[in-house]
Amino acid sequence: MDHTEFCRKAIDAAVRFGAREAETLVVSGHSVSVEIERGEIKTCTDVWDSGIGVRALIEGKVGFAYTNTLTDEGVKKTAEQAVKASRASLRDKNWKRLPEKTRYPVVKDTYDKRLVEFTPDEAVTLCQRMISSALEVDKRVLPAFGGTEVSVQETVCVNTNGVEGRNMGTSLGCGLGTMARSETQVSPMCYEFKASRLYKPEPEWVGKEAARLAVESINVGEAREGKFPILLDQFALQSIWMFTLIPSIRGDMVSRGRSIFRDRIGEGVADEGVSVYDDGTLQGGLNSGSTDMEGVPRQKTPLIERGILRGFLYDNYWARIEGAKSTGNASRGGGGLGLPPYGSVPAISPTNFQLVSGTASEEELLSEVGNGYYVRGVQGAHQSNPETGEFCVALAPAWRIEKGEITHAVKGVMIAGNAYEMMKKFSLLGKETRHAGMLIAPKAVVSELNVVTK
Amino acid sequence: MKDTLFSVLDKVKNLGASYAEIRAQRNNNTLITLKEGQVEAVTLANETGAAIRVLAKGAWGFSTTNSLTRGDLEKSATSALKMAATAGPSVREPVKLAPVKTVEDKVKLAVKKDPKNIDVSTKIENLLRVNKGCFGFDKRIKSVTVSYADLTTEQTLATTEGSFIEQQKMFVWNYTWVTGKSNGIMASARDETGAHGYELFDEEPPEQIAERVSKKVTQQLEARTPRSGLQPAVIGTNIVGVFAHEALGHICEADLTLSGSALMGKLGKKIASEKVTIYDSALLPKEGFGTIIYDDEGVPGQKTVLIKDGVLVGLMHNRETAAKMNTKPTGNARAQDFRYPPLIRMRNTCFERGDHTFEELLETIRFGYYLEAFRGGQANLDGTFTVGVQSAYEIVKGELGNPVRNAGISGNTLETLEHVEACGKDFGLEMGRCGKGQYMFQSSGGPPIRVKSILIGGA
Repeated sequence: MDHTEFCRKAIDAAVRFGAREAETLVVSGHSVSVEIERGEIKTCTDVWDSGIGVRALIEGKVGFAYTNTLTDEGVKKTAEQAVKASRASLRDKNWKRLPEKTRYPVVKDTYDKRLVEFTPDEAVTLCQRMISSALEVDKRVLPAFGGTEVSVQETVCVNTNGVEGRNMGTSLGCGLGTMARSETQVSPMCYEFKASRLYKPEPEWVGKEAARLAVESINVGEAREGKFPILLDQFALQSIWMFTLIPSIRGDMVSRGRSIFRDRIGEGVADEGVSVYDDGTLQGGLNSGSTDMEGVPRQKTPLIERGILRGFLYDNYWARIEGAKSTGNASRGGGGLGLPPYGSVPAISPTNFQLVSGTASEEELLSEVGNGYYVRGVQGAHQSNPETGEFCVALAPAWRIEKGEITHAVKGVMIAGNAYEMMKKFSLLGKETRHAGMLIAPKAVVSELNVVTK
Repeated sequence: MKDTLFSVLDKVKNLGASYAEIRAQRNNNTLITLKEGQVEAVTLANETGAAIRVLAKGAWGFSTTNSLTRGDLEKSATSALKMAATAGPSVREPVKLAPVKTVEDKVKLAVKKDPKNIDVSTKIENLLRVNKGCFGFDKRIKSVTVSYADLTTEQTLATTEGSFIEQQKMFVWNYTWVTGKSNGIMASARDETGAHGYELFDEEPPEQIAERVSKKVTQQLEARTPRSGLQPAVIGTNIVGVFAHEALGHICEADLTLSGSALMGKLGKKIASEKVTIYDSALLPKEGFGTIIYDDEGVPGQKTVLIKDGVLVGLMHNRETAAKMNTKPTGNARAQDFRYPPLIRMRNTCFERGDHTFEELLETIRFGYYLEAFRGGQANLDGTFTVGVQSAYEIVKGELGNPVRNAGISGNTLETLEHVEACGKDFGLEMGRCGKGQYMFQSSGGPPIRVKSILIGGA
C-alpha cells in the first residue's frame, strides 16, 4: 500500500477549494490481536483502520477535517470540509507556515515482512505459551488480562511545500497482567510486557516475569514512614516522568510559560550523572521512524547532558514561534478523547525518551539504597502537577529494602515529592536499560523521598 | 440498511456463528481548541464504520470495517467468524450469553439544542468568553487552554437474535485548563463540563466556568502543602464521584471482579459503613454523561444498585458475565466507537444522599481536610485507590481554614468505605471520561461525605 498519491490528490483538492497552504496525512493500519482474560484466550480480533486528515490554511486560519472513508469521493469531501473549517475559524496570529521539504534519515529495524504475514493462529500460540509460563511459576497466579498484538502501519504526509514523508512500520507485543492470592492476601495487579519492531516474540519471559512479580507481592510486611532512599524501576520512573518532566520539556509548554525550564538552557537541572535524549531514529526503537506525523524528519535531540539543560522537543508550529527548528516530535490523534491517529492537528510527543544508563549492577543499586524501598509501579502519577513537578503516588508493587537486600512487599504506602527536585537526587544509575512505555532507561536510585504510610 | 444487516447476520449464522452482532455507526464531530485565545484549529470529522462481533466455538471474534456496503460487511463478518474459530479450540470454558428480550426500537435522547444547528462562529465565541473570563479574573493567570468537542453518533445495532435498535448518541464537552504564576510558584486547575446537547452553555454561562476554574488556580497560589498521614476529612461532591467511580466502581465491574478484584466472593456481604449506598445508573441523573437508553449489546439502560446500606448487592454486567454469574445483564456494555468491542463500563456512578448539612459534616472535626476538587484518580484491582486533589482546605475546629495544594489521597476501598461516618444532603454531578483501553464518557457524583480517616500524602 502506498497512499502518497491519495495525499497528493487531497492537497490539490484543498488548494482548488481555496486553501493557501494544505497538508494531508494518511494513516493506514492493520492489527491482529488475541486477548487473554482470566487465564483463558477469549477474543481474537482483526482490525483495519485507515483514514485521512487534511489541514487547510487561509490567512492564518487553521481548518482540519478527517474521515475514515478512503475513497476518491471521501478524500475530496474531506479536503472541502477542511477548507470550510478554515473559513469558519479565526486567524491564529502565531501561524507561520507548514514544514519545508527536506531529506529523511534511514531508520533501521522498524519493519519486518514476517509480521505482515503473521496469522491469528500464531497469536493464539504466543498467548498459550505466555499463560503456561506464568502458571509454571506458581499455581496461585491468575493471568488476569493480557494478550498479543501485531500491527502494521503506514503513515504518509504530503504538503504544499513539497514535503512527502512516509513510514512503514511493524510491531509485535506480548503483555500480561497477573494477580496472585494466598489464603489471606491478594497481590496488586502486576504487569509485564515485551514489544519489538521485528519478529522477536518472548512470551515465556513475559509470562514468568509477570507471575514472579505477583507472587513476590503477596507477603506484605511492615512499612516505615519518613525520608528514605528509593530504587525506582523503569515503570515507576516512566509513570512519574510522563506527567512531569515530559510535558515540561515540550516546546509548547515552554513557549506558553507553563514549564519550569523556560529560559534555563545551559543551567544545571539534574545530577551530573543524568543525561536525557529523545531519539526518534533509534534502531529498532518502538517509536522510531523516518518522519514525524507532519513530514519533519525524526532525529536524536539532546535534552539534558550531564545535568545541564540542552534543549526542548518541538513540532513545526511551536518551533517557528520560538525561532527554533522542529525536532521531529509531531504526533497526532489520541488526546483525551482517544482520536484516531489521523484525527487531529499535530501535538508534541516524545519518541524514544532515553535516560542514559550508568554502570551499577543490581547488587550495587540495592546496596546504595541500604535501607529504603524498591518501587516497581506507581499508581496515580497522572494526578501530578506538571507545572510544579509535585507528585503524590501509591506504590504497587513495591518492596522494602533492608541492609541492601529486598526483604518483603509493602502495601498502602505513598511517596510524595517533586519530580524536578528528584532529578537532582539521582545518586546511582543501573547499567541495564529497558523499554517501559516510551522511556528507555536503567533503574535509578533516588537518594531521598518522602514515604507516607497508614 | 436493516435488510443488509440481517442478511449479513444470517450468512454468518449459517456458517456456524452461535451469535453475532453488527454495530454500524455514522459519526459527526466538531472539535475546537483555543490556546491563549488563539484558535489552534477547527476540526470537522465524518466517520462511518461497523464493528462486528461473532461468537463461535465458545470464543469471540471481532472485526471492523469502514464501509457499510453489503459486500464489505460480509467480508468483515466472515473475518470475525474466522477469528472466533481460531480462538475457539483453546477455550476451556465456552463463552455463554445471558438471555435478553429481543428489541426493535428507534430512540433519541431528549436534547434541547442539536450542536449541528449551531454555527462554528458561535461555538468559538463561547470558548473565547471562557478564555476572556479566565484572563480577566486575575493578573496571575498566565495560560489558558479551552477544548471543546461535540460528538454525534447515529448507531444501528442488529443481532442474530433479531434485535434492531437505532439510537442517537450526543456529547457536548468542554475542558478548560488554566495555569497561574506568582512569585515563582506555579499552579494549575482543570474543569470539565458536558451535556447531551448544546444547551451546555445555556445552563452555565462561559463566564461562570471561567470564574470557577480561575478561582481554584489563584487559591492554590496562596495554598500550603498538607500534613501527611491519616487524617479525618470531608470529601466534597466533586471528589466523592471520582471516589465512587475509581475506588469502588472499577472493582464492581464484573469482568474485573471475576478476575480477582478485592470484591471477589463478597456479594451479599457487608463491605461498607451502613451510611453507604452507591449505584450506577443509565437513567439518572438524566443530564449525566452516562445516561443511555440501550447499551451496545441492546440491553435497556437501568439503575444498578452496587452497595445498599453497606451491603454489596450488585455488580455491573454485560451478557457474558451475567451468564457466568447466573444473573441478569445490567446494561453496562459500552464501546468507544466502531473500532472497539463493548466492555463493561460505568454510566452515572453515584453515592446516595444523606441528611447532613455541609456545616454538620465539618463540625465534629478538630483538624482535618475538606477535599474539594480532584485532578484524576486510579484504582488497582486489589482495592488500592488514589485520587489526586487539586484543591483542598484545612478544617480547623469545625470550620474551613487555609487552602491546601498538592494533596493526594490513597487507601484501601473497603477500609475507607467502612470509615464513612455521614453523608450530606447536597448533590453534585461531574461529567468525565474514563479509560479502560478505550475512552468513555461517564458521570459520577454524590453528596459531600465525612470519613473518619483517610491517608493524605503531600510533597
